[in-house]
Amino acid sequence: MGLEWYVARRVAWAIVVTFIIVSVTWALLAAAPNPEVSQAASQAALEGGDPAEAQERAKELRGLDAPLHERYIDYVTGIYTFNWGWSESRNQPVTDALMESLYYTVQYSVPWTILTILLGPLVGIYSAANQYSWKDHVATGFAFFGYSIPNFFFGIILLLLFGVYLDAIPIVYNTDVPVFSVENAIQLAIPVFVLVTGSIGGTMRVSRNESAEYINADFVKTATAKGVSPLRVYARHILRPTMVPLSTTIVAQLLYLFVGSSLLVEVVFGIPGLGRTTYRAIVSQDTSLVLGATLFFTFIATIGNLLQDLVYTVLDPRISFDDR
Amino acid sequence: MPSGNRSFDNIGQGTTGISRRKWLQALGVAGAAGLAGCQGSDDQETTTTTDDGTESDPSTDSETETETESGSRSVGGTYNSVTSSPYETLNPLYNDEYGAGVAIGYALDLNYTFAPETEPFWLHTEFETDDNEVWVVKVREGLEFGGDYGEVTAETYTYQIQEVHQSEWANTPDATNWIRDEEPINVEETGEYEFQIELPSPDPVYLESYDPQMYPIPVDLMQPYVDEEDAEGLQDDEDLLELTFTGNLGAFSLDEWNRSSGVTFSRNDDYFLQDVDDAPDEFENAPYFEGVQVDVVQEESSRLAALETGETDTAAVPPNRVQEFQDLDSTYVSVQPQSYNEICAYNMRDNGWTAGPGNLFREKEFRQGLACAVNKERLVEGVYRGFAEIEYTWQPPWSQWYPDEDDLMTFGTGDLYGPEETRSRIESAIENVDEDYRYDGENLVTPDGNQVTLSLYHSAGQNTEKNFAQFIAQEFSENAGIEVEVEAIDGVKFSEDYWQQEVPDNPDEYEWSEGPNNAGPREVTSANEWDMSVVFGLNAYPLNPLTADVFFLKDGVYNPYGYYPSWDAEGLFDKARNAESRDELKEALRDIFINISEDQPMGMLAFPSDTIGYNSSVQGPMEDYFSGWDFPAWYFEE
Repeated sequence: MGLEWYVARRVAWAIVVTFIIVSVTWALLAAAPNPEVSQAASQAALEGGDPAEAQERAKELRGLDAPLHERYIDYVTGIYTFNWGWSESRNQPVTDALMESLYYTVQYSVPWTILTILLGPLVGIYSAANQYSWKDHVATGFAFFGYSIPNFFFGIILLLLFGVYLDAIPIVYNTDVPVFSVENAIQLAIPVFVLVTGSIGGTMRVSRNESAEYINADFVKTATAKGVSPLRVYARHILRPTMVPLSTTIVAQLLYLFVGSSLLVEVVFGIPGLGRTTYRAIVSQDTSLVLGATLFFTFIATIGNLLQDLVYTVLDPRISFDDR
Repeated sequence: MPSGNRSFDNIGQGTTGISRRKWLQALGVAGAAGLAGCQGSDDQETTTTTDDGTESDPSTDSETETETESGSRSVGGTYNSVTSSPYETLNPLYNDEYGAGVAIGYALDLNYTFAPETEPFWLHTEFETDDNEVWVVKVREGLEFGGDYGEVTAETYTYQIQEVHQSEWANTPDATNWIRDEEPINVEETGEYEFQIELPSPDPVYLESYDPQMYPIPVDLMQPYVDEEDAEGLQDDEDLLELTFTGNLGAFSLDEWNRSSGVTFSRNDDYFLQDVDDAPDEFENAPYFEGVQVDVVQEESSRLAALETGETDTAAVPPNRVQEFQDLDSTYVSVQPQSYNEICAYNMRDNGWTAGPGNLFREKEFRQGLACAVNKERLVEGVYRGFAEIEYTWQPPWSQWYPDEDDLMTFGTGDLYGPEETRSRIESAIENVDEDYRYDGENLVTPDGNQVTLSLYHSAGQNTEKNFAQFIAQEFSENAGIEVEVEAIDGVKFSEDYWQQEVPDNPDEYEWSEGPNNAGPREVTSANEWDMSVVFGLNAYPLNPLTADVFFLKDGVYNPYGYYPSWDAEGLFDKARNAESRDELKEALRDIFINISEDQPMGMLAFPSDTIGYNSSVQGPMEDYFSGWDFPAWYFEE
């Protein structure tokens, strides 16, 4: 038993949860009026045709005239075989639409997440180590500035400065450059910077407060008295206990590795990522694509929750799963 | 080529309905932008509008004229443009968006378009007629599809018309173009390269209606879907979506369509127009760009920054920034007249006029009074920085159908502007209604003695439109004593919850029910009440104004504001529709436009011009409604 049994049960439960979410989504969708069917009826009315007949025809075309249970089975089968339907707003399969968008989102969300996870705790500990000094105030000020300034506004300002005045970065995002190339690094530098400054504030403050608590702890004083180097004290004796409460924030942050698309930043920098695709799908009532995006986020969130629970055990051996 | 602009979705005269594609055109710049949730005047990188040429050709601006001989043109460079939103489809049979139409046009020409002076420019076909009723269409020889699809022949067109547009299953946006008087138009193949279109009655402006405008599509490509009556398959066909069949029929070939980021074309070395003897010389080696790239850039500020840094060769410039881009060495701004007007719509339905009992908007004299309240000269200068024409009736002044201005009521200018002119008409209107509205000092008050306060909606995030709305509010307050609350709203929300009516469950019980934009008489209303709106600009159709009847007929398909004309709109439009010559038509249209200027169905205020910024090296754009008709002949100056 123990951890393995717990993980197995959690994975099984994750499958049940996604199945429930898939079913609920389907039920909501089935109950909602289909915009394409309504549109066909309006169109027929405008053109002097029979709206009811057009409605039936539209339903038939989309397989909506089949019995509910058949539609449900088809839908669930489609979901688990990755046949997620056709995106009306992009005229391509939903899975293709999501994968194409994800390709661009990952390019900025991976460096964004990694930098946030690395810099947040570091700035926090630096602040704690220099508590109430001007260095602390500068670090805190930096974190709060990034946290409080709206990303889209900061993005526009930086784009204006580096793109227009200094001509150092391109204004129009170029999808043709290779992922691992200097051109791509240059065009993604500012979006990543904007996102990192926007997201390290929370992590930094938690790590600052947590580590401040340990700086004067007995075991730290003992280590210092034994001649342990300051770097080792901070890295081994302060950072580690600080990371336990911080792990919740950080694991949630890790989820952004793949789904952390930022609509506003994508809009400002013209990155054709998941945020823009999902937003456009919602605006244009592209139900298949909205549903696809919802399912994708659901899977990731479920897995993320699972990982979050597991991380506790790795970071804090005192947490036991024997009796769970 | 990307000319013909919004033309591909014009409202056809005499049709019984109005297709979805036509709605988009009817909504115009502000409307379409509102629906897309984007900044207005988008997608104009190759804007081509039409000029009927009654005035001197405005394309003589030294910076924009195309005086270079074809010999001085050389092929080189990629023409970069930007668009605010991605394309839904590039399927030529089903596209109903203006921006995507421009993109399709890079790779596939329409069968004909118009050059300045409304001169037809024959591309794949040429039209001839003796009586305006039977139109003989000659298909140019030597037009080749790509792949194994063979040559373009008369059958290419007749098959498409008869088996697709006139079918009951395909539901193409062009379907209504091929039906008149509720009957399919007779189309007959008379030779391998010739067919004829027989209209039920003469139509002198048939070409200008754009009804017979089509893209050539291979028969073999359509046939499997026709046999199966598979509309969805035809919409999703990969060859249609990726434009793989275009052969020598367009100036460029589609290389890649990235659904989110844009589309890339490369030069078509075999473009048919190079070998057409009767085409102007400048097409001899067209196109002159190595490629065309359209990038999706949603933010207006980013599009303008890209124009400034030279990353794009063109972008729409808002009026308040025109001077800035004119002053830059690297760019110039082309001011191109267009056909969409800026109106202030009054809600004459039962859920309009929320200030008190009754609905004063229904009174002609009241509407005239409001028309006297807004100074149109100041509006054009202040809000549009002079890049607009004053509007008195449903036609821009440069249209060949524009009546003599002496015959029009020139509200909002000269003697027909000011508080006295406004109030006298409003007081006269009040005498005609049962409700006891009156002036209390400077203010118009309700029977209960409260200040009359009305709402005015504009699209959120569109600064020019916001300024436009605020100017109206200020003028109504000063001259009419009416307080106006200016409210921003999302275009889609306004369209669905305010503008369009809820189609009743029992439409047969009403005198008419024409869909969500006129679901019945005034008692049929939208979900939410509203008073006035500047959200949608509408198309005045300067080439074929007959299509504008939908805006003025009580039971027309586009009457969200519940307008009942006090003049014989139906009779006069019928007279115009039955005109057998252009002179007869002009006479009938004259009467219509005079009546419209007098009846003031809505506040008709201005025709803003498109202000399109270009990189200084781009040669070709002209300050003309038809700018872009010769896009393959555009080039970069070295």
